[in-house]
Amino acid sequence: MNELGRILIVEDDPKDVELTLTALEEYNLANEVVVTRDGEEALDYLYCRGSFKMRGGENPAVVLLDLKLPKVDGLEVLQQIKSDEKLKFMPVVVLTSSREEKDMVTSYKLGVNAYVVKPVDFHDFVNAIKELGVFWAVINEPPPGSLRKGR
Amino acid sequence: MSKPEISSERVISPVLRYGLAVLSVGATLALALLAQSYSAHNPEFPMLLIAIAITIWYAGTGPGVLSVILASTAFNYFFTEPRYTLYIGPSDRLDFVLFVVFALLIGWFAARRQELQTIRDRLQIEVAERTQQASLLNLTHDTIFVRDMNDIIIYWNRGAQELYGWTPEAAIGKRAHELLHTVFPLSAGEIRAELLRSGRWDGELQTTKTDGTEVIVSSRWSLRRDEQQRAVAILETNNDITERKKNEERIQKLNQDLERRSAELEATNKELEAFSYSISHDLRAPLRHMAGYAELLQKHASSVLDEKGRRYMETILESAKRMGELIDDLLTFSRIGRAETQKTVVSLDQLVREVLTEVQQDTNGRKINWRIGALANVYGDRSMLRVALVNLLSNAVKFTRKRSQAEIEMGCSNGKQDEVIFFIKDNGVGFDIRYVNKLFRVFQRLHRAEDFDGTGIGLATVQRIIQRHGGRIWAEGEVERGATFYFSVPKS
Repeated sequence: MNELGRILIVEDDPKDVELTLTALEEYNLANEVVVTRDGEEALDYLYCRGSFKMRGGENPAVVLLDLKLPKVDGLEVLQQIKSDEKLKFMPVVVLTSSREEKDMVTSYKLGVNAYVVKPVDFHDFVNAIKELGVFWAVINEPPPGSLRKGR
Repeated sequence: MSKPEISSERVISPVLRYGLAVLSVGATLALALLAQSYSAHNPEFPMLLIAIAITIWYAGTGPGVLSVILASTAFNYFFTEPRYTLYIGPSDRLDFVLFVVFALLIGWFAARRQELQTIRDRLQIEVAERTQQASLLNLTHDTIFVRDMNDIIIYWNRGAQELYGWTPEAAIGKRAHELLHTVFPLSAGEIRAELLRSGRWDGELQTTKTDGTEVIVSSRWSLRRDEQQRAVAILETNNDITERKKNEERIQKLNQDLERRSAELEATNKELEAFSYSISHDLRAPLRHMAGYAELLQKHASSVLDEKGRRYMETILESAKRMGELIDDLLTFSRIGRAETQKTVVSLDQLVREVLTEVQQDTNGRKINWRIGALANVYGDRSMLRVALVNLLSNAVKFTRKRSQAEIEMGCSNGKQDEVIFFIKDNGVGFDIRYVNKLFRVFQRLHRAEDFDGTGIGLATVQRIIQRHGGRIWAEGEVERGATFYFSVPKS
């Protein structure tokens, strides 16, 4: 039986959240998904602060991170994760509308594990999410300290 | 004015000079003895004095002294009683003393006169030299004037007259910097200190001509000191640099304009960048949602939709997809314009192989005869050239779609100087040569959308890429008889 890693989605747009979750559900990857709606909430989750005080301390198997976020933006979240000893091995995938080279270069400089531009076409979008989910939450062996559950 | 005589002392050798003393006294003595034998009364007295005078006049002091000694001895020996002895009898002692005193007096006068003559000669030489120097200073085009330590002008050359307009007569005696309304870059004290310390000063001065126009001069001052090292005068040389200054100011102003303009351009560029960023991010998101939800709706409601409803659904989805393509192509187009080119040697052979693999994925088993010749290396931005080739080759594939046997050819030839010309020729639907100027414009299409899909941005992007490489692009074609695209790129 495959184990399923927890996916942390950081996305402010509710429609994108719904479409992403729909895509994940279609492939039975949605059981272990946490959605945070801005950069600050994402960091709260990762550091078990605020409303996430009571959760267990394991890191998610992968973070799907949008770049354009209210309060703390995606690049700042990425920088924080990659400069923290406890978080830096956690895979982070930037999932964004931005095709800007500047964003891509900055993300890679900060140590992002993958950079995916959200396809406009829905089939392509569903495929992209499915492949990301399957690869990072199922196939990839996450670093120690990540949460995995049998599915 | 005659050439100044040079004193005899300087040219006649000592032998000749002392010889003259001996000769003149000897000859006079002979003449006096001869005159005496003709019973002339005391002829020796004036004659010997004349001999002494001649000697001193022509031979100078030393021979003069010799002649006095010789003449007094001869006078004593030949003409005072007792004769032919060097003893002087009491009756002639007065005569002898008188003779010696006269001889000495004549000698002294002659020597004094000689001395005055020498001084006069020297003065004449000096005057001549100075006059020559002054007229030389008048020859130079530079503005030169001399002023004393109270700033009073004491010399004013022709260059000064030409520059400022005052004649030497009008300028000499005036205070220099009152006359010229000089504006100094430093305080007078600082300039004076520098001048006294090093003997020189130079700087730029603003001065005024007699007609009131301002002149900017590059000024050099030199201090003249007398033998006691006291500062006595300042020589000032000025060069008119007004024109140069004006040019410098003009250049400076142009530079400022340029800087301002490039700052404006930069700001515009930033704005454009922000604009395309916002297109990239903010326009794509709602589009994705439209497509996503339409798709979900289609899945959810397909059972209740009739044929018409399903077609509407299809159209929404197709339109969303097309708009996505338009945005992507526009972004590529704008990025090509903004991005910096990173030029290296690019092997077109290899690049075209890569591009063909990509393009052939969309040929769906069509029969295409590719004829790719040997392609030269070029110097350019690889990723940009790749975009250009993808566009050109996929166009060739697209517009030969109706051919049962498509022919696509690519090759190259040498162009002007350092460029290579490439061509891509197909046997597709071609185009009407009358519209060739519209071919490379954004959103311009020469075919209907239902015949050939496309955004109308591809060839505009290709043109922009080629232009960014300093090359040219052009096309030839005929309706239903294929098209050939040419572009030139710098050689490697």
